[in-house]
Amino acid sequence: MTKTYHPLVKRLLDGELSLSDLPLELRGEGAEALRLLGAVDRAPVGLSAQFEARVMAEVRRRAGSPMRRFWRGLVEPRDIELRLRLRPGIVWGAALAAAAALALLLTRPSQAPEGARPVRLAARDSVYVRFVLYAPTARRVAVAGTFNQWDQNASPLARVGGGGVWAITLALPQGHHQYAFVVDGGQWVPDPAAPGVDDGFGRRNSMVAVTARGARIL
Amino acid sequence: MRRVAVTLTLTAVAALRLAAQAPDVAARLAGRVPPEVASAVAGIAASAAGRGLPVEPLVQKAIEGGAKGKPADRVIAAVRALSDQLAAAADALRSGGGRADADVVEGGAYALGAGLGVKQVQQLARASHAPYDAALTLRVAATLAALGVPPENTVDLVEGVISAGRPPSELLDLPGEVQAGVAQGATPTQAAQGLGHAAAHAPPGRPGGPVPPGQQKPTNPHKP
Repeated sequence: MTKTYHPLVKRLLDGELSLSDLPLELRGEGAEALRLLGAVDRAPVGLSAQFEARVMAEVRRRAGSPMRRFWRGLVEPRDIELRLRLRPGIVWGAALAAAAALALLLTRPSQAPEGARPVRLAARDSVYVRFVLYAPTARRVAVAGTFNQWDQNASPLARVGGGGVWAITLALPQGHHQYAFVVDGGQWVPDPAAPGVDDGFGRRNSMVAVTARGARIL
Repeated sequence: MRRVAVTLTLTAVAALRLAAQAPDVAARLAGRVPPEVASAVAGIAASAAGRGLPVEPLVQKAIEGGAKGKPADRVIAAVRALSDQLAAAADALRSGGGRADADVVEGGAYALGAGLGVKQVQQLARASHAPYDAALTLRVAATLAALGVPPENTVDLVEGVISAGRPPSELLDLPGEVQAGVAQGATPTQAAQGLGHAAAHAPPGRPGGPVPPGQQKPTNPHKP
């Protein structure tokens, strides 16, 4: 239950007026208000000096050093409101730039690591192909071709037994690949089992066709 | 206004997509070939890309030349020669009304390089209806020609296998079978003619290769 006092009575309660300042007809209401408020302890609350010191110490501890406040300002999440007023031309320019960036992202060939051919190296499209060369006097044999950027260090063959047979099995992407064996790091040898095609440098490359059904030398 | 904006956006995206497809040739060749080769090949590749030709074979040829330690002028000459072959193959395929995508153009280039003529490339591309792949057909033809089979015999053999309805995988066997025939003493022409004859008369589903005398398997009348 609330009681509405006359504004002058409110000023009386606020201490701005005294009871004698009120008109006669309001003095009764004022006296009643003062009586009611008299039940309330309006004495000022006194805090001990020790309590105040403890509170201030805690405040200083939580505030931390200036560096800490700076760091917290950097890392703590804050709500930021941005208001942009854009013209239609700028909006379309930004849309074109975003579309261009997306197109570049989707179409740019990925930087392939050494020895890999980009774009078509999905395992799903790969077929295992075994390369075999009989080279009993060789100390090192590798196979290089379009599937490994002609890198003679990418696909070294391993000896199979002690009979001079070298072999390696590679997962090749579907398509047509030219290749040659590299013996002892410098001698390029076409696959004796494959007919081969002109390499454009006066020698021959071998060719393997890799399809979903397997691989065949051409 | 909205339609114009959409058109502009699509045009820009298409242009940027084309630009992004042109690979950074110089960057790919850096460290693999001498700088002068990288520069020259980048120019050849840019010109090829402008004509709608595949660039990857040119890059691979340059890398191959560098890996094989060939002199710069020979690498550039080989790349330029391949570019010319790709252009000739693309022209032949386009004027023949066939597919001219990268794989087919590359196959056509190798066929031309192996000695087949423009009309023969067009003829083989036209014959390669589904399930035969024109790129594969042309590469097989190129290998046969490289083995010494005359171009006209090459075309006859490949077309014969296709028209006989042989499985596409049998096309891939042709070079090896010709090589085997040559190893047994036949000339490349004789081997190709023998294979063509066998393919034309073999029932569908059975290998069309020649069977050595005395090894003909007897037919089983009870087998469906």
